[in-house]
Amino acid sequence: MWKLQNFLDMLNFKICEQTYSSKELNAYSALLSDVVHSIPPELLGALLHEELMEQRDRLLFSEGVTGGALAFIPFSQSSSGCQHGCLLYPSNKGRDSLNFHRVALKDQDSSLFLDATSSDPFSVQLKGPIRQISSTSLFNESCVAVRLDRLCGVWRLSERSEPRLMQVVNTRELATCVSVSPHVLGEVLVASESGAVNLWTVGRQMQEVRKEDSNLYFNAKSSWRWCEFSAHPRVMLYADRTGVELTDIRVNPVCGHTLFRISNTSECRSGERLILSKYLGDVHAFHHIITTQYSAYIMDERFPCVPMLKWDHMMQSPPMFCHVLPGSTSSGSALDGARATKVLLGSHSSQEITLLQYSGGRAEACFSQGPAQALLRPRDSLKHLPVQIPHRLDTATNRLSVPAAGLTCIQKKTGRESAGEECICILQLTEAGDIFYQLLKPEQPDADTSRPPAEDKPLPPQAAKHLSQPMAIEATTSGEKTAELLPPFSELVVSDTSSDEGMIGPTPSPNGPRVVAETPERNYQAVNMFSDSFSEDSESEQRGQNLKIVVNDDPELDQVSGLQAGVKDRQVGGDKAGEPKEHGGVDETVCSSSSLGHVVPSERQHVVKLSKHALNTWKHWLQKLMQKNCEKKPRPHGLQYFTIRTKGLLCLPDVAARDSTEEERVQSLRQDLRACMSKRSLLLHSAVSTSLGATDVVPVPNLVETEVWTDQLSHRLTLSWQGEEAWRAWWVDHLELNKEEKTEALRRKRRREKEAKRAAGQRLELSGSFVSSLSYQSELDDFSDSTGWSSATSQGRWSDTEGTGPLSKLESFLKHGTPGSATPSKVQNDTPDPTSTSQSVEDKQDGHQTPSCSRMLSMSQTVKHESTPASQRRTRHPSEELLSTLFSPQDGTLQHNIYALEEGSTLQPPDVAPSFSQLHSSQSSQRVFRIDLSQCDIVQPGFSQSLSQRSQGRLGLSQTSQASQPKKKKSQMGF
Amino acid sequence: MDELERELGPLEDVEDDDSSDNNSTKGRKKSNLPLVNPLCVETPKETGFHQSTRICLEQIREAMLHHRWQEAAEYMACYSQILEDSSRNTEQQYKELIWRISTEILHNHPNSKLEDYNIIYERMKHSGFRHYLMISLEHAFHLLLHGHIEDAKRQLSNQKTKLIQAYRSLLDYIIWCDKKFTHSNTDYPDSGDNQEMHNYFRQASVNLKEILKNPGVWDPFILCYVEMLEFYEDHEVALKVLNDYAYDDSFPPNPNAHVYLYQYLKRHDASERKLMQELKNLHVLVPSHELMLEYSSLLLQSDKKGDIQKALGVVLEMLDFACWRINLDVWKRLKAIIQKLHLQEDWKDVVSGEMAGRKDWWPALHFTSFHACKDSEENPELMEVKASLTKILCPDLMLKYTAERVTSGTWT
Repeated sequence: MWKLQNFLDMLNFKICEQTYSSKELNAYSALLSDVVHSIPPELLGALLHEELMEQRDRLLFSEGVTGGALAFIPFSQSSSGCQHGCLLYPSNKGRDSLNFHRVALKDQDSSLFLDATSSDPFSVQLKGPIRQISSTSLFNESCVAVRLDRLCGVWRLSERSEPRLMQVVNTRELATCVSVSPHVLGEVLVASESGAVNLWTVGRQMQEVRKEDSNLYFNAKSSWRWCEFSAHPRVMLYADRTGVELTDIRVNPVCGHTLFRISNTSECRSGERLILSKYLGDVHAFHHIITTQYSAYIMDERFPCVPMLKWDHMMQSPPMFCHVLPGSTSSGSALDGARATKVLLGSHSSQEITLLQYSGGRAEACFSQGPAQALLRPRDSLKHLPVQIPHRLDTATNRLSVPAAGLTCIQKKTGRESAGEECICILQLTEAGDIFYQLLKPEQPDADTSRPPAEDKPLPPQAAKHLSQPMAIEATTSGEKTAELLPPFSELVVSDTSSDEGMIGPTPSPNGPRVVAETPERNYQAVNMFSDSFSEDSESEQRGQNLKIVVNDDPELDQVSGLQAGVKDRQVGGDKAGEPKEHGGVDETVCSSSSLGHVVPSERQHVVKLSKHALNTWKHWLQKLMQKNCEKKPRPHGLQYFTIRTKGLLCLPDVAARDSTEEERVQSLRQDLRACMSKRSLLLHSAVSTSLGATDVVPVPNLVETEVWTDQLSHRLTLSWQGEEAWRAWWVDHLELNKEEKTEALRRKRRREKEAKRAAGQRLELSGSFVSSLSYQSELDDFSDSTGWSSATSQGRWSDTEGTGPLSKLESFLKHGTPGSATPSKVQNDTPDPTSTSQSVEDKQDGHQTPSCSRMLSMSQTVKHESTPASQRRTRHPSEELLSTLFSPQDGTLQHNIYALEEGSTLQPPDVAPSFSQLHSSQSSQRVFRIDLSQCDIVQPGFSQSLSQRSQGRLGLSQTSQASQPKKKKSQMGF
Repeated sequence: MDELERELGPLEDVEDDDSSDNNSTKGRKKSNLPLVNPLCVETPKETGFHQSTRICLEQIREAMLHHRWQEAAEYMACYSQILEDSSRNTEQQYKELIWRISTEILHNHPNSKLEDYNIIYERMKHSGFRHYLMISLEHAFHLLLHGHIEDAKRQLSNQKTKLIQAYRSLLDYIIWCDKKFTHSNTDYPDSGDNQEMHNYFRQASVNLKEILKNPGVWDPFILCYVEMLEFYEDHEVALKVLNDYAYDDSFPPNPNAHVYLYQYLKRHDASERKLMQELKNLHVLVPSHELMLEYSSLLLQSDKKGDIQKALGVVLEMLDFACWRINLDVWKRLKAIIQKLHLQEDWKDVVSGEMAGRKDWWPALHFTSFHACKDSEENPELMEVKASLTKILCPDLMLKYTAERVTSGTWT
């Protein structure tokens, strides 16, 4: 005990639970774990519920990721037409490693791809998942702010210098937004759930510039806050779910000017909330884009509250990421699609990317160019790939369906070819750490010829068509695979149109590389120089045969993955976090070949074209994924079930123990068996015994005397041998579910009897009614009638427990007048009705008693009178009555009973005993029966039998030996 | 029974409370999660018809979002079956859906013809009156875009709504403009033509005057109206209309209104004081407006003593904004202002007073070595002007905004 006390005292201190563990206490906790909870169930339940709700919400809408954790910092465009830059992305399973990776969007032999092989990423391990990366560039110097849940860090990098950490700050509350100033390097706005926005000048203190405890315009019950810079370096946007305010941070008592307000916008739908706001400094110095889950607005901060433009973006889940590309002003007329500003909205859970385009905003009003266009999603990619075998398809689908976590773009202005041609590369990060890219290119000029005349179309859509439809969309991923081949392979992208049908169309048959080789071979006929490498690959890649793709590896971001693999090896072997980054270089070229589609409407308008480049990267990616998957979970050897060793349980006896004689016997037995089979005769025991020698004949077990078992359970089990019906009937009877029908049946019976008697003469009338009332009352759990048991009252309360079996017996008895017709044993065995067991006893009693009943009628009546107080007492409270029955041996009946037991011990017919003991047991176990018994007492107090019954009940409770009870019973019966 | 009810009564209430609580918590959750209500959801008891229309709608959506207009049109041909659905009371909703989808497809489908539009619009207009006005307006816009101005006007002619009338007046104005053009081109103006023109003006002005009484943003309308009024030399009305538009408090603050008023005043040679007043008002609304250059020059030319300081403030504020930061004219103006300011005794106080709030971020905004580098590369003249101003604007700071190439040094 002192140990326990000691332990409880120790709880006041912070101690190592491992060191100070108490054996006794552990034992106690094991012993009492279901009574004394380590966590109160209420608390645990509440916490669990909370957690589940939160998880559900996070699955539907994860506001923490708003802004996206993928950024691209463009460096100067080289003369060769490559767009160099630094891609920032999180990696590892926990997305807690920040990578600065130099990549280049290369244009080689008129095929574009993202090259990530030129350098290794510079990665920094952080303390939590990266939620948002915000970056800005001024004069080739870039500032990157990274938001974790409670940490914000700022890095600085330039084209020539490595990234270096400037400062890290902790936020007390959950940070919801970080925004880097586009005006002054090193100024960052940080918003947190406390409602405060701080201006963080790197290297200096945070300065709180605005704090709102509640939502701006109405109570949206959201603590999410957002902030952005505006055209003026000292005016910032303060946003929450209800709207946006412009705040001048130089003015001390902050006053906001409404820029946007949910309820004030036209056609605002109920439940509409602000999702994201972004300053479009690159596009227009005064423009901001504000998105809700339904619409996107372009707002001009000079003209607050009036949207310049509104789209319904038609996305299925709210847009959390946004990237805006300024339209090129280099060439083309105002209607040239290339001039349009492109807004890319990305959603979290559904991975959607929607492209919106608009023009104007300066000299002319803003106008949208064409309807929203959905771009390819990672989860749609598999449709365009060769068919996978199902379990791989599942794995790949799961991997590809992970919610998106970021979106960014690389814009490339090609100076080399036709002026004004530009191409954008859209990168999308998923929560699994994969980055996919797709390329959008403007339509080739020759496609214009097939375009229908534009006169019929309204101008803006036409312009949009010009821009967007012509674009070839390429979705890209790459595997971790580090197999590197030469970049020149990418020229296949152009030439491989012939292979399209082969790649996309037929399912690769699973039986072998032969079939696999077929399609690629055709490709390679065109470009023979690569066939070697292909065949090599097809041999080496047994696993990937179902992909049947040409070898044209994109060296792309593979080194990222290589590094990752290295890291993983260094860490733990099968760590899931090992494969966070699968980057790559698949371009999946989905050409909406509009011209073709228009001319031939019946043909599918959307021709999906996958470049070899793309297919190959996909192939490697998928292979890597499958490998990782296999490594991760080596085929589970079954769960850790509780197992029982069965080895020693079922086995042949020891071979050595077998002696030769037994062996012989077995042999002879087999011979006999064979002989019998040939003779088509039976193998009889005699034959066997001769061969086996004299074996002990196992005696047939004695008949089971079910009557010996007097308890209720045994009785029920015995009955259940007679089939389910009997068993069910027992229960029905036991639970008194058939009370009413029985009453009814008995009543009918009685009526018939009466009539019969009336017809036969009045001799037995009284006794008849007495008997029936007795029998019914013996089972009735109603005491109120105990005050008088005249036939009239008893008739009104026909008991339920009367079965047909006993009734018929009763009838037969009444007819024949022979008590022998209802021998107890017979009753016991013949009546399948479970209810009849106790019943039958009653009947039998009746049978025995009937003569005496008429004889002793007066006596019973007087006794009845005597018993009235007791019965009244019982009426008051059945349990009280029960107690009195149980604990009042001074009643005198016990003595009587004992006397009777002594007297009639020799006469006992053993077969009645079970039924009575049953009665007794039911009495002890169930109130209903007890009451029944007590009822019996009341009705026939004068009868020694009933007295004995009562005494038996007491005895049964007080004594454990049930065997003695039947004797007493029987003696009574005999009497 | 009564007792039973009485007993059940509070129970039900409790349940209601619970359910409402649940609802409210759910509702709160939902409102907390700004999710999109899906257009059509699979219901547990949907018939085959509903299922197929739902799938059809999804396909249309997919096709439209991926700009596969032909495919969308083919699906759309089938989707109109939904209108036969009488089991749900959502006919109006479906009609609107069909109207929007089909016009969108027609807008983008390469083979769509004007006749198709007309058919669709007429059909939709007469299928139910709920969106009649919107459809009419859209139809008119569509005709307008294709140059069918008369048709468009006819579309709007039988509508009584103010907005529609205003749009109709806009069309009157366009016709008026055409007439004016032909009128001015012909040497002998025909009085009948003139009369007809005037009729258009009268028609338009009635409606435009009406619509301009309502608070709102009426920029295109007011421009038309003022142009016509100016043509007929009704200056009083024009000025009144513009003044109302700019200064009526019930209207949302509209910087354009002040710009229009200023431009009108300038066209009609209003006094400098009036112009400055107008620009001052504009400055309050949009300190970054390009007219602020004019404002500063007006202030610079003014003889009042405080104006030069005002001019300094205006120009410095312009330079705060990203769009003017590398504008040579503004920097030159700033230089000119400071030159003039130098004539005053207390010029240092004035400058430091204006710069007080900017001391901590202007250097980073304008005068870093990066800026120097870039300016010297791209715009040496700007570099020169800026460099000359550094010492004056930020006298106590050691700025790195000096490039070796710059020889002129500080301004003296």
